Amino acid sequence: MTAQLMDKSVHSELRVPHSAIALRGVTKEFGTGDTKTVALADINIDLPYGELVLLVGPSGCGKTTLISVVAGLLDATRGEVEVLGENLTRMGNGRKVRFRGDNIGFVFQQYNLLPALTAAENACVPLLIAGWDRKKAVAKAKELLAAVGLKDRLNSYPNQLSGGQQQRVAIARALVHEPRLLVCDEPTAALDAHSGRTVMDLIRKVAVQPDRAVVVVTHDSRVYDFGDRIVSMADGRVESVQRTEDRAQETEGRVPH
Amino acid sequence: MNWVALKMLMGDKAKYLGIVFGVSFAALLMAQQSAIFCGLMRNTTSQIRDIQGADLWVMDRNVQFVDDTKPLSENALYRVRGVEGVQWAVRLYKGLARARLDDGNFQQVILIGVDDATLTGAPAVEQGKLLHGKLEDLRRPDAVIMDEFGWRYLYGAEPFAPGKTIEMNDKRAVVVGLAKCNPTFQTFPILYCTYTQAVKYVPQERKTLTFVLAKAADGVTPEQLCERIEQQTGDLRALTDEQFFWTTIGYYLKRTGIPINFGITVALGFFVGCAIAGQTFYLFTIENLKQFGSLKAMGVSNPRLVRMIMLQALVVGTIGYGLGVGGAALFGYVFERVVTNAPPAFHFPWQVLALTAGAVCVIITASAAVSLRRVLFLEPAVVFR
Amino acid sequence: MLTRYLLPVLAVVAFSFAMIQMTKAQQQPPPVNPPVDPGKSPFGKQVAGAGIVEPETENISVGTHVPGVVRAVHVRVNDRVTPGAPLFELDDRQMAAELAVRQSMRDSAAAQLAKLEAMPRREELPPLEAKVEEAKANVEDKVRLFERAKREIDTGVGSGETFDTRRMGVDVAKAQLRRVEAELDLTRAGAWKFDTAVARATLTQAQAQVDQTKTELERLRVAAPRIRKPGADRSREPIPSSDLLELRVLQVNVRPGEYVGATPGQAIIVLGTVGRLHVRVDIDENDIARFKPGVGGTATPRGEPGTRLPLSFVRVEPYVIPKKSLTGGNTERVDTRVLQVIYAIDVPNPTLYVGQQLDVSLDAGG
Repeated sequence: MTAQLMDKSVHSELRVPHSAIALRGVTKEFGTGDTKTVALADINIDLPYGELVLLVGPSGCGKTTLISVVAGLLDATRGEVEVLGENLTRMGNGRKVRFRGDNIGFVFQQYNLLPALTAAENACVPLLIAGWDRKKAVAKAKELLAAVGLKDRLNSYPNQLSGGQQQRVAIARALVHEPRLLVCDEPTAALDAHSGRTVMDLIRKVAVQPDRAVVVVTHDSRVYDFGDRIVSMADGRVESVQRTEDRAQETEGRVPH
Repeated sequence: MNWVALKMLMGDKAKYLGIVFGVSFAALLMAQQSAIFCGLMRNTTSQIRDIQGADLWVMDRNVQFVDDTKPLSENALYRVRGVEGVQWAVRLYKGLARARLDDGNFQQVILIGVDDATLTGAPAVEQGKLLHGKLEDLRRPDAVIMDEFGWRYLYGAEPFAPGKTIEMNDKRAVVVGLAKCNPTFQTFPILYCTYTQAVKYVPQERKTLTFVLAKAADGVTPEQLCERIEQQTGDLRALTDEQFFWTTIGYYLKRTGIPINFGITVALGFFVGCAIAGQTFYLFTIENLKQFGSLKAMGVSNPRLVRMIMLQALVVGTIGYGLGVGGAALFGYVFERVVTNAPPAFHFPWQVLALTAGAVCVIITASAAVSLRRVLFLEPAVVFR
Repeated sequence: MLTRYLLPVLAVVAFSFAMIQMTKAQQQPPPVNPPVDPGKSPFGKQVAGAGIVEPETENISVGTHVPGVVRAVHVRVNDRVTPGAPLFELDDRQMAAELAVRQSMRDSAAAQLAKLEAMPRREELPPLEAKVEEAKANVEDKVRLFERAKREIDTGVGSGETFDTRRMGVDVAKAQLRRVEAELDLTRAGAWKFDTAVARATLTQAQAQVDQTKTELERLRVAAPRIRKPGADRSREPIPSSDLLELRVLQVNVRPGEYVGATPGQAIIVLGTVGRLHVRVDIDENDIARFKPGVGGTATPRGEPGTRLPLSFVRVEPYVIPKKSLTGGNTERVDTRVLQVIYAIDVPNPTLYVGQQLDVSLDAGG
């Protein structure tokens, strides 16, 4: 299947639409008049489920803006944004917050763990946001922490963990509520090469699921080979979308259709 | 999520203690100063509270507060008795007299002359206000009962013994008893004696009757009776204990600088508390801004964030308030026991607690509001920068 | 641990302490009753006033007409005296001496009058009658001598001179007779009536002076006044003894040897009736409008709030007087006036004393 060929008649009723993310003519401008800067200029892109998409490009090229728009944190100035079959452009603010909480997992460059909570408690926060009972949420979080290999650091506080460990906790947190879209912002930037690779490896192994889209923003070329698809950006435009064939095959094998 | 909020709050011990300290300091200062103010104001009415047994006070129409004595004609007593609904009415003398002590010194004293027949207004035996002697002793010639603070003031640590003589208006007075009186504003010793005795202890005056104490008959409220008395007599003013209490306090509030001074101190406490607590809370929020941002990105709605921050504020407010008012109460407790030779001015009514609670509410709401402003206007996209 | 549990616990403890202190401060002391119950007003609407106990007759302050030194006091406090009974006497020696002088003067005047009334003296008449006889005889003698001379002249014997002399002698003798006869008549007539009248008047005056001195003496002895019983017929005069009041000596302010003056209002001896007591109630002028003459009332002695003596209306003193201070304290100037109302105490033998103060409540209706 090819994401580029996805037609626009995607309906939200479809359980698994062909395209997880579909942007049409998305433009984002900051400021007005003389100070107006164009962060995104007429972006048209379709990204499929079940792939790890790397969003690369130099600093200031608009990748953070693009990911913010995709995650529903920023509104596009013009254009249509469709994520997981929902049109975010026409979505109200309150619904958008709920949509984020229910469907999107976040991994941040600085991990953004709550220093007052243990690893397990941190990992269960999205479930708490969703209204889960605390005990159940912690139990679920522990499962995920085990999956990211932190079974023996469940009750450690973030300041007792290394950067890589913290980022793994963050990944567990991002996935605990089983989101259909995982957004990672420079997950390896604050880590050494080894930890970066471990984290990326983890994202590939744990996060990439057939019905989940994963978008990783990075300018760390060392991790390019983890992506199924690499979207290069420059000056607010998408320069190229490349498929890494060897990865694609592996992915192809796992996707049922 | 409330649990997360609390964890966040208590995770940063230094800031948490800082906020609690700020709030409790403000609460302590406000509660303690208000209590001293209340005590001082209440002391102005000590005689109104000491002279019990009647429902209302009848006085000249122009009396503004309890120490503002404007003597009445003796007939006022009978005119009051003639008002419908008066169960009984008795005379009372209250004034200042100049006493000459054994050692030749002069001392102003508060002289209270109670009705000879009934002794209405004498120290309340039922409440254990008479520490030594018997009320009946007042009927003995030249007998007076002194108050405890007065005794300490005049005779120091000397234990009480009846028989001390003092001289007022060239007449002899013998201290036969010791009474416990509410602390007074003027701090002068208080002397109780019979009305006829009291009249002899002051220089000759044209009229001597200061107050008429009256009791309302069954089925008539004191307030109604006051109105009736004022209506029927025309030139007299009748107030219930409560009304007289507030009239007196009202006078001191209006005519002295006391409320302004204390008001300034209380306001100072309020602002200092606001500054410390607000500042620390704000810093705490700023420090956690990134955390709040990620929570916001992860789908925590604004109302929920408001609830979380308000909960944090409420917790520090409650703890700080509890510690503060407890400290103020402790101050009063110790103060009343350590200072024995002067009437203490400390009163701790529920209004002080309520006022402090209100002020603390304002402090924490203001602190939280400043913080909330930052959090609410925080773009969640900031987490990616 | 510290922050999570200790601080909240500490706060709770501190707050509880504050609450306890607050509750303590808030505590209302138990209500207090006057050491001696002042009693209740007996009427819904009432007029109240101070009253003073007096006898039914009011207080009779017996005084003296004349100043002087007391010689004897005949009564003691609490004696019952009948009207007219002597109370005390002043020194009367001067008056007694004066009485003696006056009496002798009266006696002298009486004697003078008796003397005049006894005239003429019988012994004085015979000499005068003899003198008349003598003069008559003389006239006869002279007439004969003249007739002889006349015959002599007619006969021309005699001289003219002898004739004239004999005629003159007759005239003289006749005049002498007339004089002697007049003297006899004068003596016979006795004392002149005007002289008698003067002497009689002198006697009356002397008698009056004696009576006056006796009265003065009487006035030195002060007796109990004669007073009608209340309700007795006022027109009967003199007062029949059955209508007279027996009085009791309430106060004796004099002892023998003391000097008493005749100052008005001075109570040397105070008398009053033995029977019913009255109470004189002062009603403030502001309350007069609310007082209706004739209403009932009760009185309570000072210091005895339980006792309530029924009162019945007697009368209103129609003159509103300046209030007298009853407190016995400072001599206060007066700025109010009071209406005085008299009530009778309707109890046979109340344990009350004249002059005692009462708190009086009068029913004002309602």
